[in-house]
Amino acid sequence: MNFLTIFARNLKQGPQTEAFPLGPAFTPERLRGRIEFNADHCEGCRICERVCPANAIRFAKTPDGMTFDCWHNTCVFCGNCEFYCPTDAIHQTNDWDLSHVNADKFDMVEHGLIPNQKCVECGATALNTAPVIKNAKPPLSAEEYTELRARCPKCRAKYLKNRKVPA
Amino acid sequence: MGLIPDFKKIATRSPWIYRINAGSCNGCDVEMATTALIPRYDIERLGCQYCGSPKHADIVLISGPLTVRVKDAVLRMYEEIPDPKVTVAVGVCPISGGIFRESYAVLAPIDQYIPIDVNVPGCPPRPQAIIAGVAKAIEIWRERL
Ligand code: SF4
Ligand code: SF4
Ligand code: SF4
Repeated sequence: MNFLTIFARNLKQGPQTEAFPLGPAFTPERLRGRIEFNADHCEGCRICERVCPANAIRFAKTPDGMTFDCWHNTCVFCGNCEFYCPTDAIHQTNDWDLSHVNADKFDMVEHGLIPNQKCVECGATALNTAPVIKNAKPPLSAEEYTELRARCPKCRAKYLKNRKVPA
Repeated sequence: MGLIPDFKKIATRSPWIYRINAGSCNGCDVEMATTALIPRYDIERLGCQYCGSPKHADIVLISGPLTVRVKDAVLRMYEEIPDPKVTVAVGVCPISGGIFRESYAVLAPIDQYIPIDVNVPGCPPRPQAIIAGVAKAIEIWRERL
C-alpha cells in the first residue's frame, strides 16, 4: 500500500524538474551574479580594483575622466568588490544568464566613466567623484552635497572645514 | 533523395555530450554532473546525453584553464571527437583563466588552442546557465550538420 501513497503524492506534487529552459528559472534573490557599476556613487578610491582576486576590474585615466571596466569573463562572482566598496557604487546583481557565443567574448564588459569637471572654486580639472562624507557631522543637505561635489579634492576639504556647524 | 534531410532532422534531436577536464578545480565539473544527472535540471529533455567516449560526442564541454601538464592529453582527446563538433567553455577558467589568470602553470585562454563556440562564464556557472549554454550550442550544431 505504501507505494500507492507515494504514487498519489507524486501525482499531486507534479514533476520536480525545473521548467528551465522551457520556462522561467528559479533565481534566489541574493544569488551572486553579474557585477553592476554606478559611476554616480563612485568615490574613485579604487579599492575594488585592488581587492579583486581575478583582476576583473580595471580603472584607466583617459582625457574624459576615469573609466571603469569589469570583464564578466574573468570575474569569479566572489563579491569582494561589493563588500569593500565604501559607497554602493558597485553591486552584484542576481543575473546569471551570461552565456554567449565566442565572438562576443570581449563585449561582456561592464563599463562606466567618472567624468572630469572644472572645480567651481579654483577652476582646476578634477574627477567628478562622489564626495567622501561619511564622517561629516551633521550630515550634508542636498544643496551642500551638490556644492561639495562641484569642487576639486582640495577645495572640498576647505569647504568641509569652513562649513558652519550649528551649535 | 529526401532521405538525407530527414535523417539530419532526426539526428539533430539528440546530440551527445562529452566532458573534458582541462585542469579544472572540480567546481565546474560538479555543476556539469549536476546538470546531467539530477532530475531537477535534467538536460536529457533537450535530447542530450553524456557519453563516455570522445568518439561518440557531438558537443564537448571543456572546464579548467588548460594547465601545461594536461595540454597534450586535452588536444589529443579533442582530435578524437568527430566533426561536426561544437565546443562549449564552461566556467571563467577556459575563457580567460579566471582566478588562475597569468599563472605560469596555465595556458588560458583556451581558444588559442581549441576553437570555442560558446562561453558560459561563472565560477562555477549555475546549472541553469550551463543548460542555456548547451541550448546555444545545439542551435550552432544544427546549422553545422
Ligand atoms: S566602485 Fe566603490 S570601491 Fe570601486 S573605486 Fe568606486 S567607490 Fe571605490
Ligand atoms: S565579484 Fe570578485 S572577481 Fe568579480 S569583479 Fe568583484 S571582486 Fe572581482
Ligand atoms: S571556473 Fe571556477 S569553479 Fe570552474 S574550474 Fe575554474 S576555478 Fe573551478
